[in-house]
Amino acid sequence: MSARSLPPALGLAARLVVGGVLVYAGAIKAAGPAEEFALVIGAYQVVPQDMSLTLATFLPWAEMLIGWALLLGFRLRAAGIASCALFGGFLFALATVQLRGIQLPNCGCFGDAVHFTPAQAFLVDAGLSALAYLAWRSAPSALSLDNWAQGGYTGTHGKR
Amino acid sequence: MDRTTRRLLSAGLVIGACAGSFLLARGARKPFSVDAPEFRRRGTAEAKIAIVEFSDFECPACRVAQPPLRSLMKVYDGKVRLVFKHFPFTMHHSARPAAIAAECAGRQGRFWPYHDLLYERQENWVGEKDNEALASYAKELKLDEATWQACRKDPAVDAAVSADSQDGKNAWVGATPTFFINGKRFVGAYNLSERGVPFIDKELKK
Repeated sequence: MSARSLPPALGLAARLVVGGVLVYAGAIKAAGPAEEFALVIGAYQVVPQDMSLTLATFLPWAEMLIGWALLLGFRLRAAGIASCALFGGFLFALATVQLRGIQLPNCGCFGDAVHFTPAQAFLVDAGLSALAYLAWRSAPSALSLDNWAQGGYTGTHGKR
Repeated sequence: MDRTTRRLLSAGLVIGACAGSFLLARGARKPFSVDAPEFRRRGTAEAKIAIVEFSDFECPACRVAQPPLRSLMKVYDGKVRLVFKHFPFTMHHSARPAAIAAECAGRQGRFWPYHDLLYERQENWVGEKDNEALASYAKELKLDEATWQACRKDPAVDAAVSADSQDGKNAWVGATPTFFINGKRFVGAYNLSERGVPFIDKELKK
């Protein structure tokens, strides 16, 4: 599917879904105790134990930032790429856990609010990755802060 | 308004939205009590360091955390007090009966010996349907069996365990064991040893 043939409504819907999920997941974890999330990150065994708490502190804020950027259409292309990279990272972590047979207390996706098994989390993240790709392809968008900041001009910054 | 101003305003809006969603989520937090009956407290009452432990008797990580916790209590004897709070996970089917059994042992002044037995022999009683092992521990600790059995059916005991669980939920406890040392959270035995002990030293120097 080329960028020009992507229906704007589809791109907008993808942005809203991915952005909404990222904002919810980020806010619930940022407001909760970082130590709890650090324990889940530690269980994945993909980053050194000492880095778990740092990652648990900053990752939720990164999710919120990318989420709101997608929702509001700010730096849409960069936000789309960042969300693809984020879900790519999550998929990698979940895949290695499955392959190594590590038992997770929960996936850590939504803090303590929603618990997914690693397999369910993998499917959800795979779906969101596809939507994140559509969100990236949707740039430039008329319904975005980018468009407003450009004074309604979206013709060139969308070139690939 | 020029493009630069609009870009700066856009960036401000995104950052403001992040802060707003964070504050909204944080507003959902509820206060929680760190209180417990006298029999679930250990150490010096007026100690400078207060440790509140949210624990589940069926959880293996809680069992693993007991030796470092015991040695911590020994090293900082006189400077530390410990409060035990029940946090039985619903997915751990034996955890709640064990919490009630320990609570009833506590009402006869034997909470801590019963607590220690539950962790030491965790693999013997977890999954038992008739709770025979729990009763045998009561016998071993010479509890009044009739009183202990009656206590296990007392709705007030069940409510006490539920109240502790609710406190844990309000404190956003998502994993056990979770320790609050003078209000600061430490999750798991590793965290307790690696970060909790230096934190205690720091608090004692204040």
